[in-house]
Amino acid sequence: MRKRTLKRGLTGFWWFTLAFLYLPLAVVVLFSFNASNSAATFTGLSLRWYGRLMGNEEILSAFSNSMILAITSSVIALGIGCLIGYGMYRHRHRKLGWLIVLIYLPIVLPDIVFGISEMAFFVQVHRLTGLLQPGLVTMIIAHVTFQIPFVALIVYSRFVGLDPTLFEAAKDLYASPTKRVVHFMLPTIKPALISAFFLSFTLSVDDFVISFFTAGPESATLPIYIWGAIKKGVSPEINAIATLMIGAVALAAIISLVFSRRRQA
Amino acid sequence: MSDIITAEASASPGARPVGEAAQGEVAREASSIEMQGLHKRFGRDTVALDGVDLTIEAGEFFTLLGPSGCGKTTLLRILAGLEEADDGRLAIGGKDITEVPPHKRSVNTVFQSYALFPHLSVRENLAFGLKMRGLPPEEREARVAKIAEFIKLGDLVDRRVDQLSGGQRQRIALARALVNEPDVLLLDEPLSALDAGLRSQLQVELLRVQKRLGMTFVFVTHDQQEAMVMSDRIAVLNGGVIQQVGPPREVYERPANAFVARFMGHDNLYPVTARQGGRLTTSLGELTAEDAGEGGLLLIRPETLDLLPGEVAGDNHLPAVVSERLYRGSHAEYRLEIGSSTLQATLNNRGRHLPEVGDRVTVSVAPEDLVTLSE
Repeated sequence: MRKRTLKRGLTGFWWFTLAFLYLPLAVVVLFSFNASNSAATFTGLSLRWYGRLMGNEEILSAFSNSMILAITSSVIALGIGCLIGYGMYRHRHRKLGWLIVLIYLPIVLPDIVFGISEMAFFVQVHRLTGLLQPGLVTMIIAHVTFQIPFVALIVYSRFVGLDPTLFEAAKDLYASPTKRVVHFMLPTIKPALISAFFLSFTLSVDDFVISFFTAGPESATLPIYIWGAIKKGVSPEINAIATLMIGAVALAAIISLVFSRRRQA
Repeated sequence: MSDIITAEASASPGARPVGEAAQGEVAREASSIEMQGLHKRFGRDTVALDGVDLTIEAGEFFTLLGPSGCGKTTLLRILAGLEEADDGRLAIGGKDITEVPPHKRSVNTVFQSYALFPHLSVRENLAFGLKMRGLPPEEREARVAKIAEFIKLGDLVDRRVDQLSGGQRQRIALARALVNEPDVLLLDEPLSALDAGLRSQLQVELLRVQKRLGMTFVFVTHDQQEAMVMSDRIAVLNGGVIQQVGPPREVYERPANAFVARFMGHDNLYPVTARQGGRLTTSLGELTAEDAGEGGLLLIRPETLDLLPGEVAGDNHLPAVVSERLYRGSHAEYRLEIGSSTLQATLNNRGRHLPEVGDRVTVSVAPEDLVTLSE
């Protein structure tokens, strides 16, 4: 009897936690469909705020900046992170373990410290060389920097999970170094690469702090636009953007999860 | 001991064309392997190979036998090109391949873990080597189909790798190596992960495959029983040095030294304290040996002994007391006390009287069954 009470209690706790996590999101999603422009009372369903989004040049440009930033940085981070992940795997037995800690650092560093450092660095480079004016390019560099560790760690863990003899089997079966990459390594880590790409994409779209410190006047992303717009009060338009972002990020996260499940199988 | 297989096997070495017995399945000349002064060190202190000179004949089923860390796997990996020797030369089929990278050697390996590619189907696994060598798809398919029939894979080729059992993986790994028709096939303890029943079944299958193809097989194992069943010749390794090379009967019946004898499962080893012609004095007593060699250690194989009830006087007769008996159905294993020494004996169960624990018996051994070896 007591066991059953405990079980019910734990189940209830689970639902409470879920509600705690998702109710605020539900409020935003619900009010994005509000017919009136009140943030307090819900008067009826409407798509007018989504229509309003489509006509807002600033929002459309912020959206396209976000997409360019997320896709470009993810692709670059994928290439570099993949090589680093393989390097970590190849040298895992050497006494270079402490070097790998360096790759973790950006993950645990507070975003604000990271963002300020990037900004200070770009300012210095710009002062000395005239290059790297704040804008999309500096944002892409900053995003690549914080995405690399995630990609490297995902790729590394995929390689570690493989039977090391597979590398030898590929050599033994007449695969030259290039063919080993094309016909063995890349296909084997493909699920990890897809998963890493969507994780990087999500991280980039989500990021506000680092983008804020490295953006230029023309390169506002969606989070930066929202932050600016919210100073004038929460409009139902913002709810609509937020809903779209929740959808996009959830989709990317689900794809990332599906492929990370598959690579474990 | 299977005398039939041994007899058949010892007749086969030599440059007999591959496929003579295989009804034209693979028409290729088998290749010999020559190793000269191979040395390999890991780090500063670990000597894996300490000067290995060895010639493996074309078409031979050759086994590298030894305990773990003896260098047998290192030697196999040097043959495959997965490891580079620090010193020495290696030639296959008369061609020096010491410096040739693994993907350019006509040598294939069956790995202990099978190492089937998880991202490929069984069929793609089988065709991998052919694809890497640039064979056109039609020819790849034809050769995969041929090997699938030869190894009797049946519908296994259409499965996914993760749907296969251990024994099935083993056979796919064998087929994936054989389909390339290499000069030499290397097998790194390919049966060690399987249970006993499946293991002996696959031993027979592997042996038949080798005999039919006439290909040179180099097999690594730590199991002396397996080595004896399979091999034309065995090389016993210890500490990176070859201790003895010879056919199974020679290695088992006339081991070169105490290490080989113990590794082949012999316990009845007694220092010779005095020697007068064929008359040897040991802690068991005096024994007459014929053609026993000049070594300082006497080897008595348990299965050469006979146990007579009671005390029977005679040459090479030793009085003993039975201290232990393990009845195993087809035979019985005895532990006997002779003075302060113990002696193991094995008696075939042919329905005769089997002495019991505590019985006084007389151990009888023929002079020609005694051999001596060096420490």
